[in-house]
Amino acid sequence: MSADELIQYLSWAIYLLIFAGVVVKLIRRPRRANLDIGLLFSATTLIIVVSGAGRLHLLPGDALGDLLTDLTIALLLSIPYWLVRLVDDFTSVPPWVMWLAGGGLLALAIGSLALPPTLPGWFANLALLYLISFLFYAGIAFVRESRRASGVTRRRMRAAALGSGFLVLEFGVSGLGQAFPALAALWQAGIDLAGLASGICYFIGFAPPGLIRRAWQEPELRAFLSRAAALPRLPDTESILREMEHGAATSVGAPYASIGLWDEAAGVLRFLIDGQTLAFDPAALPISGGAFLRQRPLFSDDIRRLNPANAAIVEARGTRALLAAPVTAGEKRLGVLTVYASRAPIFAEEDLDLIQLLADQAAVILESRALIDEAARVRAREEVTRLKEDFLSAAAHDLKTPLTTLVAQTQLLERRALRQPDAPADLAGIQKLVKEANRLKTLVLELLDAARAEQGRLVGDRQRVDLVAVVEETCTRHNSERHPCRVEAPGPAVGTYDPARILQLTENLVENAVKYSPDGGEICVRVWQEDGWNHFTVADQGIGIPAAELPQVFNRFHRGANVDDRRFSGMGLGLFICQGIVEQHGGRISVSSTPGQGTTFRVALPVGRGADGAQEGGPS
Amino acid sequence: MADATQPILVIDDDPAILSTVADILEFEGYPVELAANGAEGLAALDRVQPRLVLLDMRMPVLNGWDFARTLHARGIILPLLVMTAAADARRWAQEIGAAGYIAKPFGLPELLTAVESLLR
Repeated sequence: MSADELIQYLSWAIYLLIFAGVVVKLIRRPRRANLDIGLLFSATTLIIVVSGAGRLHLLPGDALGDLLTDLTIALLLSIPYWLVRLVDDFTSVPPWVMWLAGGGLLALAIGSLALPPTLPGWFANLALLYLISFLFYAGIAFVRESRRASGVTRRRMRAAALGSGFLVLEFGVSGLGQAFPALAALWQAGIDLAGLASGICYFIGFAPPGLIRRAWQEPELRAFLSRAAALPRLPDTESILREMEHGAATSVGAPYASIGLWDEAAGVLRFLIDGQTLAFDPAALPISGGAFLRQRPLFSDDIRRLNPANAAIVEARGTRALLAAPVTAGEKRLGVLTVYASRAPIFAEEDLDLIQLLADQAAVILESRALIDEAARVRAREEVTRLKEDFLSAAAHDLKTPLTTLVAQTQLLERRALRQPDAPADLAGIQKLVKEANRLKTLVLELLDAARAEQGRLVGDRQRVDLVAVVEETCTRHNSERHPCRVEAPGPAVGTYDPARILQLTENLVENAVKYSPDGGEICVRVWQEDGWNHFTVADQGIGIPAAELPQVFNRFHRGANVDDRRFSGMGLGLFICQGIVEQHGGRISVSSTPGQGTTFRVALPVGRGADGAQEGGPS
Repeated sequence: MADATQPILVIDDDPAILSTVADILEFEGYPVELAANGAEGLAALDRVQPRLVLLDMRMPVLNGWDFARTLHARGIILPLLVMTAAADARRWAQEIGAAGYIAKPFGLPELLTAVESLLR
């Protein structure tokens, strides 16, 4: 077998394989682009088979030979037409070019049939001009498109341009063969090799096998994924979205991508397109909205047909095909990623998986961003809390220090005056001082406690406390003829509490009971333990609280409307603090009252939590 | 070993508190020794042997913790009564191994009750 024959058989085999591949693709996805690819390869495969067979003298008689030669010429002339159609499949071709290519082919076909079998020179030249000019046109169109496109599409268009280049080379070499017939074998080998190369280039350009396609997508995809980790730290969500859109577009090899964020409150997807935000009801967008609503990637080869309403927006960018995938983090729907391309053949079946992968990556990035934002908010809140704490601590120290002097010194004056009655002193005035100083002290402490209650920092170290003992201590202190204080307790009620705060709680409630029972009356405190809870109630027979005010009694600075301000001084913080103490112990406080008959406060405190139980035996 | 002639050492950076506490204790018949911070308190220990130390915690020069640490390092054992405005009074007292604490603002009865209970 000669080298010439080897090349011939090899190119047959390769062409037949490519042809089979193209036909399979056409049968599986009968789209215009696949049909055009199939027709292109039908023509070239037939030419190669027929001309090769002729050269190897495998063909019978002259009449059939002439017919086959005519067929070969007709097929050859059809190649530029299929190429121009393919250019239109991937980008857009002006209608007049399409008409010219089709009309030229028709005229040449009619001419070759009408003219005698040995074609005149001018006709052959005209046919050659048609061939070369449209091959050039296709080649230049692919080069232009490859420059415009990115990623895999750029590489595919380059391959197509290269295929056109090889085809031009093939015709050039065949021209040289006419001029220098002496080297016929060399020219023939050149023609065959160039033809084979152009076939391979067209094949991997127009219908790249999955392997090549993935390899061509990889650099951009890899670049995007390697940048992905840094994206959440970009200064704002806007930049993150733009970066993700760019990454998605280049990874798929499409000119544009856009991410629509789901605005749950408004029920719309918000896209930023050309600097302005557009909001769409997902139900109004068949592909983007559909992908979002159905939570699966969708593809459309012609958005104009599917959604005429928004066609103008899409068409303005010269795009017609789009792919969309939901951006979803777990159960949380964040939005949708849409990739636009000028024509459907830019995309492949597998791109649905790729776009979903990119959308998932986008979800991870957006969620990371949300976490970063949340962490920043928490830090800001902590800073505010810390500032408040600093203030509280400074205020506490600064207020308490002079108060100590005021209280202690006045008490000393009082004591001196009492012990040394002869010494000149205004006892009444001093006693007023003592009273006011004490009042001031109470108010300051209340204010500070209220601030602490607000921050949930009222309760300090806990230890075992018997509520019965605390209540009895309180009752004894407030017991008087006018307001007898009685404790009813079937047994001990021990829990793990902050003893100082629990005492403050019972003091406050009993003090209130006394204060708001101006006509006397018994104060009754019941304490019992039940189902892991310690309960106590403080009941008085005082003026009561109007029903309308009951919900507000635990609010800060609430003062009863039926309370005489001069007789019952205070800032209305006592019950707010009581509520803080109870709730920060994990308990509940409630109130019921009948005006004119009395009020009952009910407190329930958990006996003690396991976690805090560890502190029970600790130092105290 | 404690006798009534031994003074009570009062350490506080607030002069008003210092003099008030001194007035009260002296009125009740306790001799007192005063210091405006931990360092002065340590210096006072060279002159006198107090029965009790009333100790403020947050002070310039030498604070309550460092004062207590120095005592410990020198092997001096003295009952300490912490006086502080902080909410963590009880914990702070525990931290330095004090015998007790009184939270500011305190009054005359609280002060005397605490002092008497420690001297009893």
